[in-house]
Amino acid sequence: MKLRSRLPGTEKLKREKIYVIFLFLGLVLVAFVFITLGNMLYRQTEDFPALIDAATNLVVLKAIGISISMAMASTLIAFFFGVPLAYFLARKDFPGKSIIEGIVDIPLMIPHVIAGIALYGVFMRYGVIGAPLKRLGIVITDAYLGIVIAMLFMCLPYLIDTARAGFKEVDPRLENVARSLGASHWRTFREITFPLAFPSILSGAILSWGRAISEFSAVLILAYHPISAPILIYEKFTSFGLAASRPISVLLISICLVIFILLRMLQKGRK
Amino acid sequence: MERRKIVVLGTLIAITAIVCVTAAAFYASIVGTEQAKTVKVFHAGSLAVPLAEAESQFEALNPNIDVQRESIGSISAVRQITDVGKNGEVLASADYTLIPSMMYPEYADWYVRFATNDIVLAYNPELSMYADEITPENWYEILRRDGVIFAFSNPNLDPCGYRALMVLQLAELHYGDEQIFDDLILDNTGITITKEGEGTYLIKTPEDQKPNTEKVDIRPKSVELVAFVEEGGLDYAFEYRSVAVQHNLAFVDLPEQIDLSKVEYADFYKKVKLETVDRNTKTGKPIVYGITVPKNAQNPELGLEFVRFVIGDAGQEIFADRGQTPIVPAVGSGNLPEELKSLVYVESAKPKPTPTPSPEPTSTSTSTPTPKTPGL
Repeated sequence: MKLRSRLPGTEKLKREKIYVIFLFLGLVLVAFVFITLGNMLYRQTEDFPALIDAATNLVVLKAIGISISMAMASTLIAFFFGVPLAYFLARKDFPGKSIIEGIVDIPLMIPHVIAGIALYGVFMRYGVIGAPLKRLGIVITDAYLGIVIAMLFMCLPYLIDTARAGFKEVDPRLENVARSLGASHWRTFREITFPLAFPSILSGAILSWGRAISEFSAVLILAYHPISAPILIYEKFTSFGLAASRPISVLLISICLVIFILLRMLQKGRK
Repeated sequence: MERRKIVVLGTLIAITAIVCVTAAAFYASIVGTEQAKTVKVFHAGSLAVPLAEAESQFEALNPNIDVQRESIGSISAVRQITDVGKNGEVLASADYTLIPSMMYPEYADWYVRFATNDIVLAYNPELSMYADEITPENWYEILRRDGVIFAFSNPNLDPCGYRALMVLQLAELHYGDEQIFDDLILDNTGITITKEGEGTYLIKTPEDQKPNTEKVDIRPKSVELVAFVEEGGLDYAFEYRSVAVQHNLAFVDLPEQIDLSKVEYADFYKKVKLETVDRNTKTGKPIVYGITVPKNAQNPELGLEFVRFVIGDAGQEIFADRGQTPIVPAVGSGNLPEELKSLVYVESAKPKPTPTPSPEPTSTSTSTPTPKTPGL
C-alpha cells in the first residue's frame, strides 16, 4: 500500500509495461508515415506561392474534385452491393464460400496495372460489357464512368471485408430475440443488425473511399481523361519534375486528411 | 545444434563462392576491355533499336572491337561530348542539324545524313473503323467521320505529339482544305492556332487540352497509343513510322509533303510552328538522322569504320527493317574524310551546310521575361 502511494508513476509503468513496449514499436510505423508526408508538407512551405497557385488553378481544382467525387460514387456503389454480400458471407456457410471470398479479395492482390488492362479489355467499345453498353450510347473508357469503375474494382474488398467482420461481431442471438418478439427479418436487419454493425461498415466505407482516391494505375489505363488528381500529379512529375507536382500533392493530401479526420470524428461521435 | 552448424557452414561456403565468381567476372571484364578496342557511340533514344542490331552485327564482323552505346536524348548526346567532355568515337543524332549548330567547328567538321523517320497514321486493319477504305488521299475525311476516334501524344510532353499537329496543319495547306485542322483539332480540343504573317501558322497547346474523348484521345507518349490501337479502343493514332513498323501496325503512309521526312520540303514544313505550355516554340522540320565522328574521338579510325558500316549495305538493311528509312546514298556535308567519299553523295560545297541561325534548333526557347511556374 505504502509503496504504491509513494511511487504511483513507476508502479503504473510497471503494470502497463507491455503497452509501453508496444507503443514504441508502433511509433516506428507512425513515424515512418509522418516523416514521409511531413517532410513533403514542410518542403512545400518553402515555396508557399506555388501552393497558392495550385489552390487557385482551375485545372488542379477540377482534378481534385473529380478524384473526390468519383471516389464517393464508387464507394456508394460498393456500399449498395457490398453490404448485402458482407451480411450474407457473415451469416451463411455454404460450399464454395471461400471461392467467393477469394474472388472478392483478388483486387487486393493483383498489381493495379494488370487490373487496369483487364478492365480495359472488358469495358472498351469492343469488350464483353463495353460493346453492349456502347449500343446503348454509354461510353466507359476515357469518361467519368471509367474512373468510377476502375476505382470501384480496387476499393470494393476494403468495404466488403470490413463490413463482414462487423456483421460477424453482431451476436446472432440478438437477431433471434428480435425475431422471436415478432420483428420481421427485414426489420431485424434494419433496426438491430445494421445499426450495430454500422461503425464497422462506416470504417470500411472510409477505407474504400481513401483507396479509391489513391488509385492511379487502373484509372490511368481505363480513363486517362477526364484528368483526375493522381494522373495530373504524375503528368506534372514526368514533364516538369518534383517542384511542379508537389504543390498539387500537398493540396490533395491536405484536403483528404481533413475529410478523413472529420469522418473519423463523426464515427467516434456515433459510438 | 548440429543442424545449425551445417547451415552456418553452408552459408559461408555460398558467400565465398559468390565472392570468387564476382571477382573472376570482374577480372575477366577488365582483361576483356584491355584486349578489345572500344567504339563509344552516343546516340538518340530513337536510334536504340537499329543501332543495337548494328552493334551486334558489327561486333560479329570485328571480334576485337567492342561497341559501347549510350542512349540518351539527341541534345544530351551532343552535350556529353561538347559540355561534359566525354570522348566518343561516334555521335548519332535524331536531328542532323544539331551537329553543325552545336558541334561545328570545335568538336566536328562533317556529318552524314543517313536515315529518316516520318509521321504516319497507324491503325488496326481488323478493328479500326473504315480501315478498308483509308488511303493517303482520304485519311482526313475518314478521321472526320462520326464514331471514328483518333489519337496523338501530348504535344507538351512528346515531340511525336507536336509533330502530329504540324502534320494536320500542313495537310490543310497541302490538300487545300482549310477545315482539316478546324474540324479535327479545334472542334475537339482546347488547342488553338493563329495565322501569322507570310503564310505561317502558330499552334498553341494549353496545359489542359480538354480532348472530346469520343473523338480524339491524347496520351502522354505516342508508344502508349500502340496498345490501344491493337486492342481496338482507338481507330487511328499518329506515330513515327519506326514505331508502327517495330510494333507491326498497319499505317497510312502520308505524302512526303506533310510527313516531315524530306529535307527537300524543309521550307514547306517550317510554315507551321507550335508553342508548348512551357513557352517553347518548335518549328516544323524534317526528321533526319545525322552521324559523325567527333574530333575528340580516341579511336577515330574505328569510329569511321562503324559509320561506314551503318551507312553501308548492311546498315541500310537494318534501318529499313525497323522503319527508319535509310537515305541511299547517304548525304555527306562538310570536311568529309576520304574513307567516306566513296559511300556518300557529297552535298554541294556551301560555306555552311544548314542555314539555321538558332543555337538549339529542336527547342528554341523564347523565354518570356515573366517567370511562369511550369505547368501551373
